[in-house]
Amino acid sequence: MAFTSEHITSSAIEATEFMDLSRRFRVTGVPKTVVNDTIEIMGALPEDMFVRAALQMQPEDHDGEEDRAL
Amino acid sequence: MPLLSPQDEQVLTKHLSAMEKRVEVVLFSQAIGGGESGVVAKQVLDEVARLNDKITIVEKNFILDLDDRAKYGIDKSPAIVILSDGHYTRMRMFGAPTGYEFVGLVEAILIAGTGRVDLEEKTLEMLATVDKPTHIQVFSTPT
Repeated sequence: MAFTSEHITSSAIEATEFMDLSRRFRVTGVPKTVVNDTIEIMGALPEDMFVRAALQMQPEDHDGEEDRAL
Repeated sequence: MPLLSPQDEQVLTKHLSAMEKRVEVVLFSQAIGGGESGVVAKQVLDEVARLNDKITIVEKNFILDLDDRAKYGIDKSPAIVILSDGHYTRMRMFGAPTGYEFVGLVEAILIAGTGRVDLEEKTLEMLATVDKPTHIQVFSTPT
């Protein structure tokens, strides 16, 4: 993602070597992703779900059900 | 003692042969207070670099090379920054690249070396809409 977008920087962090950072972001399991210090994604997600979660984009709306539910 | 077995080297050499661009792997480490992981990181990088002459390791001192740290936003060590044909790729790693992290290192080198990413078309469309600084931190462990 970072290679593709000039606005994105990626950091792969070895959690056990940087315990302060891991504690700060409550890393209790891996992989854990933190975007802009605020968005937290636990575990490995399918690509589409991961990208939407990381970039705070809406899930694809197939039938409008989600909009109505909101 | 080498970290990579002859079999590992054989498989990696094959993968890395797809590289067309020059990849510089910049390692920030520190001799004092740096612990063992900087030494391990150096050994891993040296062993990978030996497998393809397009890969170069550039060593920086975390304590002294402050301009380089600022250039890539490096605030902890050991840190690895990947450059493709001299250009910053915004792909960085912190900690020794062993275990699961090693896979990430090889993938990052391959992306930088081939200029190709293995992402879905829909993902590329979403990434094209990003217009604000976005920092993605992925925490993992070696096992």
